[in-house]
Amino acid sequence: MSLKSSFIQIFISHIKREFLINFRSLVDVISIISFMILIVILFILGIGPFEEKLRLISNAIFWIGLILAIIPSLEKTLQRDYDNGWLDQTITSPTPMELILLSKSLAYWLIVIIPLVISLPLFIVLLKISLKLIPWLLISILVGGLSISLIGIIGSALTLGAKRGNILLPILIIPLIIPILIFGVGISEAVIINESPVGNLFLLIGFTLIYLVISPFISAFLVRIAISR
Amino acid sequence: MFDWLANPNRFNRITEKIQPYILLISVITLISGLYFGLFDSPKDYQQGDAVRIMYVHVPSAWLASFLYFSLAISCIFYLVWKHPLADLVSSSIAPIGTLFSALTLVTGSLWGKPMWGTWWVWDARLTSMLVLFFFYLGYILLSNAFERKIDGSKTASVLAIVGLINLPIVKFSVDWWHTLHQPASIIKIGGPSIDDKMLLPLILMFFALSFFSLYMIILNVKTKLIEKKCEALLLKSNLEEISKIG
Repeated sequence: MSLKSSFIQIFISHIKREFLINFRSLVDVISIISFMILIVILFILGIGPFEEKLRLISNAIFWIGLILAIIPSLEKTLQRDYDNGWLDQTITSPTPMELILLSKSLAYWLIVIIPLVISLPLFIVLLKISLKLIPWLLISILVGGLSISLIGIIGSALTLGAKRGNILLPILIIPLIIPILIFGVGISEAVIINESPVGNLFLLIGFTLIYLVISPFISAFLVRIAISR
Repeated sequence: MFDWLANPNRFNRITEKIQPYILLISVITLISGLYFGLFDSPKDYQQGDAVRIMYVHVPSAWLASFLYFSLAISCIFYLVWKHPLADLVSSSIAPIGTLFSALTLVTGSLWGKPMWGTWWVWDARLTSMLVLFFFYLGYILLSNAFERKIDGSKTASVLAIVGLINLPIVKFSVDWWHTLHQPASIIKIGGPSIDDKMLLPLILMFFALSFFSLYMIILNVKTKLIEKKCEALLLKSNLEEISKIG
């Protein structure tokens, strides 16, 4: 077997492993959806039952809810493997750490987007999002979810072994993902006022591509620091 | 490149010589900048005397961004060439940068009250300065979050470099957001062209604050070097005691 195909096999098997671990317990899936619904409830209770107010900020609520719902589950993506020694074992294997972490973030992306895509109709009903937004929302969730999970892996690696890492993580992560919120809301706003959302979408894709390139290297570097302790 | 400065003793020797001059330049430019700024510059035709806040506000905004840049550069030096002094430099820059970004926000809001009628406007520049403040804060928090100091400095250095990549994107996207939502805005500091009489104190204040922060950074690094020396001595004496008991 050539080296290349074996790498691809390892890559796929890692994605499968992560996916199975997270989907078997279903805790992540349920927590993401229910957390997001709760954030929506808080927003609605905060602004009152006025539809015109809601219509103005429904896109913002959707994206803020999405980002906030994902952040709590980010912390344990690497912490669990660090605690039970899985990372120490894999770092001695010939597979590069960068590849493993890339597969981890892709698996995490699947774990995040599947519940979000499933529950999208629910949020469209709850937030009274207009129906012509659906294809654009799907695309922007797919792309934005990927960049959130890529940045999330960096954040998770940053707080690996830190004191009170779970509190620190949002403070480190949220400034980094501000562009996702702006571009994501920008896409929806553009569609609503009948303009082309392609500009914002390309910016979001470009942002994601930057992190697709740098995230595995940065997080592998951080994991090596954490393991050498 | 900075190998010759990475030696702590040489750093101490060189800074010993230049430190008084840095302080002198900073004091002279500060006094003259304040004089020109407060007494010898024209009032703005719209803003009146309140425009004089600019002579503190704008230089600190410049410095807050510039110091973040130099913080990230010295983090790169620390991670790539593993100069221990580079880490001391970046951890000394961080509190000063935080201070300047906080100063920018405070003076901005003090300026905003008479000019725009509110303490805070969600203007693109102010928002990205607030984000910069949180980047500094994240760096400081992360570098103190680990049991061993060295883990904290390595991890926080990586964060600073990620921030260096991310900050321009944040700045750009916040500008983008701003132009999308509120196209008509009056916020333009000093207008398109600035009077020479106003430019002079601005530049003087910029030099004053940057030399002052350079002075403080050197002072900070020296303090940290002495701290490290103390730790090493303490460790040594402890070891000697242990070996005596043993």
